[in-house]
Amino acid sequence: MRKSKLLSILIAAMLIMGLLAGCSSDSNTDTTEATTAADATQATTQAVEKAVLKLGIWPEDTNPNEVALHEGYAEVFRQAHPDVELVPANYKYATDTFVSLAEAGNLPTIFETWFTEPQKLIKGGFVRDITDILEERGWLDDINPSIRTLLSDSNGRVYGIPRDGYALGLMLNVELFEQAGLVNADGSIQYPKTWQEVAEMGKKIKDATGSAGLVILAKDNAGGWHFSNIAWNFGADLTTTDADGKFHANLNSPEAIAAMEYVKSLRWEYDILTADPTNEDWGTGFVNLGTGAAAMYIGANDAVNQPTETNGLPVDKLALVPMPAGPGGQYSLSGGTPYMFSADATDAEVNAALDYLEIMGKAPVVTDDAIAGMKADAEYRVNAGIPVIPRFPAWTNPELLAAEQAIIDEYSNIDLKLFNDYFTATKTEGNLKLEEEGATQDMYAQLTNVLQAVLTDKNADVTSLMNTANTNYQGILDSGLNK
Amino acid sequence: MLPSILLFAFFVWAPLFENIRLSLYDAQGIRTIKFVGFENYIRVFSHPSFWPAFRNTFYYIFWSLLLGFWIPIIIASLITETLYFKGLFRVGVYFPNILPGLASVMLWGFFFRPGKTGVLNILLDKIGIEPFTWLTTPGWTIPLIVLTLTWKAAGSTALIYMAAISNINQDLYEAATIDGASPFKRFLHIMLPSILSLGKTLLILQIIAVFQILYEPLVMTNGGPNNASISIMQLVYKYAFQDYNYPMAAALSVLICIVLVALTLLYFKVTKNVDDAN
Repeated sequence: MRKSKLLSILIAAMLIMGLLAGCSSDSNTDTTEATTAADATQATTQAVEKAVLKLGIWPEDTNPNEVALHEGYAEVFRQAHPDVELVPANYKYATDTFVSLAEAGNLPTIFETWFTEPQKLIKGGFVRDITDILEERGWLDDINPSIRTLLSDSNGRVYGIPRDGYALGLMLNVELFEQAGLVNADGSIQYPKTWQEVAEMGKKIKDATGSAGLVILAKDNAGGWHFSNIAWNFGADLTTTDADGKFHANLNSPEAIAAMEYVKSLRWEYDILTADPTNEDWGTGFVNLGTGAAAMYIGANDAVNQPTETNGLPVDKLALVPMPAGPGGQYSLSGGTPYMFSADATDAEVNAALDYLEIMGKAPVVTDDAIAGMKADAEYRVNAGIPVIPRFPAWTNPELLAAEQAIIDEYSNIDLKLFNDYFTATKTEGNLKLEEEGATQDMYAQLTNVLQAVLTDKNADVTSLMNTANTNYQGILDSGLNK
Repeated sequence: MLPSILLFAFFVWAPLFENIRLSLYDAQGIRTIKFVGFENYIRVFSHPSFWPAFRNTFYYIFWSLLLGFWIPIIIASLITETLYFKGLFRVGVYFPNILPGLASVMLWGFFFRPGKTGVLNILLDKIGIEPFTWLTTPGWTIPLIVLTLTWKAAGSTALIYMAAISNINQDLYEAATIDGASPFKRFLHIMLPSILSLGKTLLILQIIAVFQILYEPLVMTNGGPNNASISIMQLVYKYAFQDYNYPMAAALSVLICIVLVALTLLYFKVTKNVDDAN
């Protein structure tokens, strides 16, 4: 008996040592970047025979029309690239599946992610540096410079390309504005130009229709994200950088506090918000707007399918107007939704993916295929009831922008008056602002906490809450980035 | 012997050791880069959400002991004393357990919605009371979440107590009844002492389970308002699945493990002293 016990302990010890040894040899191979690079070139030579393009951007099966659209793209692609095997591999980016997929080497060659993610994915080594490939294709300098920053590491190497650019504005449910009588003599709708008017018009709408005037998000970091734009318009600068490149939290400036007081008044003074802002996130905001439960919501040009196609708002009842101005000016938070590439993808595979984007008309080239792709996309939008509006200039080459404009004019399915001011405002010099630098998501988390407190407690002390948030955020900065 | 060792090594020991190792390293994803000692632990401690989460976790335990520990015992003893429709009551208390966890949490979410559309507020409105804000009132958040937990889990715990009670020698009851003991006296002097050791085990299991509470606050309040209901496991979740910072998630998991081991040891020491005194 004793003998078998000893034996089992020995076996167990050997197993553990084996496992630990296995882990350490793993990390060795991972850290030697040079080997990986060599592997990659080797893989490229092998891939000449048959590269596999796993398309994470393939639409979901539940959307047959969009699948049909992509079947068309795929057909064109297969004819031009008989040597590449195209595999539809729909992947909807989600934080709880991503790392397992990436670590297991099962990430699609190309996938879409959220605008919040690129820096995290670059730091984690999950995505591929595609600078040289873009350089070769002559695309590198066509990327809108501000979006390029978002997709680059600290050495300026680029890891993705923009699908769309976006700038936040205010989305309106036109039906509710009409019901509340907020209509000009010529039939166009009156819309709020300042945050003060948002509160007043929101009140009119709530009194007349019973629907909420405005959706404010306070469930997750999206709350802080939207709030940072409101705060800018009140004159706040939420993070500052000193000469040494160190970040300083600035959440308790008088301007930021005034912005938070304003949001608080929307709940307790004007009472124009939805029933429970602490349960509203990016998606439920669009549900409220699209179904007529709320009249206004902070949204951007790249999400016009959300209230319409996804939540049933008729295409002519959606308006997108400039971000309301505040005492500090009028700014629109801008960024881009990126395409990124698996760290395991070979050059040939990345090139195949970029060729596919060309066919879709999402690349900075104007070929017959690309124009056909853009037309197919516009046609799809018309059929699905999504506004056909200009993309935000994610790429800067003029011939592409001209070609896009021609297609938008041809397929237009909306009254441009409902969108024009937004596009005019965002083209104004100095209007666009990138997200705050620093530990941005942590800052949003702190601001969201304050939003939750002021929206649930009538007696919340905004100044002291913002002071706490500021101390907390500074602590996070000091323990991480400022080291 | 060997198969069980293999299974243990693969499913328990290896992940455990790997987790401890990971917590001492800097990593990209789960690929370790360099040894950093206790730096991850220090960053966990200095994170502004750590102390609220740690404190809340004990609030969860406090409320779950206040509500969750006694209710199953009371239900079990009441059903045992019931003469008619015993089976019906047994099925009845177990019923909420059939619901998938997330579904029941979301269901209660609808009940607790503030404003005029929440189920409870609709009911309050019928009797002329103003809508209440339920989960968004910081002081109420944790007790209400524990209430939903209890609603769901009390039935299954009660069944375990009922099984223990049915093992009690019926002669004791008969003798007590003949001697004129009231139902409460029978509960106090016969039933309670008999299920005490079972209760001790269930108590420690409950503390361990509640310490790891995750999806209830995640779904119902996302830890809010202003961290009023954030739990320590939710922080682990945030580090791992939102920030992709696995070393910090690992460090916090190790801390949770240490706290639970300490609580368990303390508990057994205290109860052993009590037993010895008896």
